[in-house]
Amino acid sequence: MIGFWKTWKALEAKGIMGINRRNADYVLKYNKRSLYPIVDDKIITKERAIMAGIHVPEMYGIISTEKEIDKLDEIIGGRNDFVIKPAQGAGGDGILVIADRFEDRFRTISGRIISHEEIEHQVSSILTGLYSLGGHRDRALIEYRVTPDQIFKSISYEGVPDIRVIVLMGYPIMAMLRLPTRQSNGKANLHQGAIGVGVDLATGLTLRGTWQNTIISKHPDTTNSVDGVQLPNWDGFMKLAAGCYELCGLGYIGVDMVLDQDKGPLILELNARPGLNIQIANDCGLTHRAHAVEARLEQLALNGEQETVEERVRFVQELFGLK
Amino acid sequence: MRSITLHLKILITVLVTLGIAITAYQIFVLGIPVTEDETDDLWNIDAKVEFVANTKDPVKIQMFVPPLSHDYVSLNESFISNNYGVSVNRVDGNRKVTWSARRATGNQTLYYRLVLTKRYSGDKPKIKGSVFRDSIAIEGPEKIAAEALLEPIRQHSADIETFVTEAIKRVNNLSDDNVKLLLAGDTSTSNKARITELLLSIAHVPVEKLHTIRLTTDQPQTPELWLRSFNGKDWLYFNPDNGEQGLPTDRLTWWIGDENLVSVEGGKKATVNFTLNNSEMNAIRLAKLTDANTDDHFLGYSLYGLPLQTQQTFMIMVMIPIGVLVILILRNLVGLETLGTFTPVLIALAFRETQLGFGIVLFTIITALGLSLRSYLEHLKLQMLPRLSVVLTFVVVLIAAISLFSHKLGLERGLSVALFPMVILTMTIERLSITWEERGSGHAMKVAIGTLFAASLAHLIMSVPELTYFVFTFPAVLLILVGFMLAMGRYRGYRLTELMRFKAFLKDETK
Repeated sequence: MIGFWKTWKALEAKGIMGINRRNADYVLKYNKRSLYPIVDDKIITKERAIMAGIHVPEMYGIISTEKEIDKLDEIIGGRNDFVIKPAQGAGGDGILVIADRFEDRFRTISGRIISHEEIEHQVSSILTGLYSLGGHRDRALIEYRVTPDQIFKSISYEGVPDIRVIVLMGYPIMAMLRLPTRQSNGKANLHQGAIGVGVDLATGLTLRGTWQNTIISKHPDTTNSVDGVQLPNWDGFMKLAAGCYELCGLGYIGVDMVLDQDKGPLILELNARPGLNIQIANDCGLTHRAHAVEARLEQLALNGEQETVEERVRFVQELFGLK
Repeated sequence: MRSITLHLKILITVLVTLGIAITAYQIFVLGIPVTEDETDDLWNIDAKVEFVANTKDPVKIQMFVPPLSHDYVSLNESFISNNYGVSVNRVDGNRKVTWSARRATGNQTLYYRLVLTKRYSGDKPKIKGSVFRDSIAIEGPEKIAAEALLEPIRQHSADIETFVTEAIKRVNNLSDDNVKLLLAGDTSTSNKARITELLLSIAHVPVEKLHTIRLTTDQPQTPELWLRSFNGKDWLYFNPDNGEQGLPTDRLTWWIGDENLVSVEGGKKATVNFTLNNSEMNAIRLAKLTDANTDDHFLGYSLYGLPLQTQQTFMIMVMIPIGVLVILILRNLVGLETLGTFTPVLIALAFRETQLGFGIVLFTIITALGLSLRSYLEHLKLQMLPRLSVVLTFVVVLIAAISLFSHKLGLERGLSVALFPMVILTMTIERLSITWEERGSGHAMKVAIGTLFAASLAHLIMSVPELTYFVFTFPAVLLILVGFMLAMGRYRGYRLTELMRFKAFLKDETK
């Protein structure tokens, strides 16, 4: 019992945020329920982002009824690679990544050859809600396939590594690079076995990582060090993430971004209930940082000011950057 | 945000205060017992009246029956008599039953039966009595003896209480010549009481004779005589044999006055036998029974006012918030992962029918088989609704099969599986399967065990009889629960499992 109490006090002193605090003080306080569809539905997110001039993977088309499945060919056109996603999918389920054509068929990223009918069946499954949260009817989204930047080659196993930034009221407060592993089947979700690597907000240099709630410094598949990697175009990422507040109106979000080798930083999706493992990856608690931003907001509100994306990024980089 | 917090605090305070106040009112003012074990004695008194009827005359037999003052409540009263007309009337604070018949011959037996209990709550009614009476006129040596006796009594007493006690003591001093003279050789209790009354009347102190029945089983009874006197505020009771003051609690007043218990016209040899036995009954149920006979209608507004069948349903229903509270604590304070939020509560309800151990076994078997079917269906790439329908049907067939097998094997318990909510099982299988796919078998097992653990705990707590009784009797407790739940809504401390999860931080620090 005393042991628990000691742990409790120590975690509190470090400002580690627990689920209860995240829910009570941030998710419930800053995220209006009515705005959830914006982040839950990837199509709406994408449309909003395009309107706001934020970079996203290009959308080739949407299929929302069984009848429209016939239009699949038309949507794909002559393209060799594309991604089919459920608009309201969770945990990366139901995503089909086509990397190439093979004769009359398609080749997925893992090398499996699938026929046109199989793709149609996949789309049909998406429409019936097989992959959506709660089994609602869903829409299928066909979009640009992201090719991860070469920089990640050495520290990731298959899949697309992404960058998760927690954004509080437009202020990025913590960032993490998520690297797929063999165990996560190329997916970048931490609970599926991906690695989370902390990122210095000021410089974009990676720190040590977390894997299954423990702290690591090497990728388990490639055994390359995950720390000390300079992420290119870091300020671009920061601005992109900070701008997502204006995009969706939710005050506490996790922004998932990728670095495409041709198009640079792109927004992949937003998350209204970002996980807490990012704290382990950064070896730092969220609470103190969140409080610093809240204090800043209060001060600004007092003066009746508002900060632009650039000002906000500069503010957090100065405050939270590791020197 | 601050105003919301204040609002919440006020709301919690109001709810908790209200809950405590109502419960306290029920316990302390209405006197509703806190546990079910509090039982009240239920007395069954039979008075058997026997007499020999004269052949020709009409028969009229009168007997006193208890007036049922504020101390006792009658639950049932019956007069068992063939061919007799029965009427009950009140005379001077007594109740008298009159049996009458035009013609009766030979030995007659009549019964009077009373089921009563101590009154369980309620205010004392206003009592009144006279504080003055005229002297009974006596002459000659008796007068001198009485006055001689009275003199020391006056000297040794301060008020009515001590006066009466002293008088009784003197009358019981049989070696005293004055007493001998007054009793005239008859030392029966009734005679002593008569002399005591005489003495007291000279001093203008009124006394009444009280005939009581002792509420005790297995001994034959005759009405016991007591004296009582009014001191302006309360009735004071005295034992005419030794001057002891205070009526023991097990005495029931049958009638007051000088008359005999029973009087017969047109008959002879009337005797009355009392038989008592007692049984225990749950205090609340008793109160419900007495409800019709009392002025306290508080129970009419409680859940006990519902029909019995509905009550049983409500007994289960009021425990659901308790189960939910268990889940709330397990999830938000401990951090246990369960399938869905309230699925464990529903499973816990199902355990009521199957018993815990058997319920867990059944749940595990059905879920395991359902999961294997689900994973097979996964290959067929079915849409969600048809797939769920197949799983549900499979679950029904499985339940039927288990029932059949266990019946054939003579395990009647297996039949209770039918009450396992099938839809819940189906949804559990579906959810578990999705968890399995998304987060791996290890996590699915963890969640399944968490769910079973939460369900078992909820079941165990929900089936504590004392708790059920308490919540059912004092539903205001639920307000306190709501207060706690509201407070939990703002709880932002760590969950127990998070302390483990984030241990990585601290290990690093100690290095």
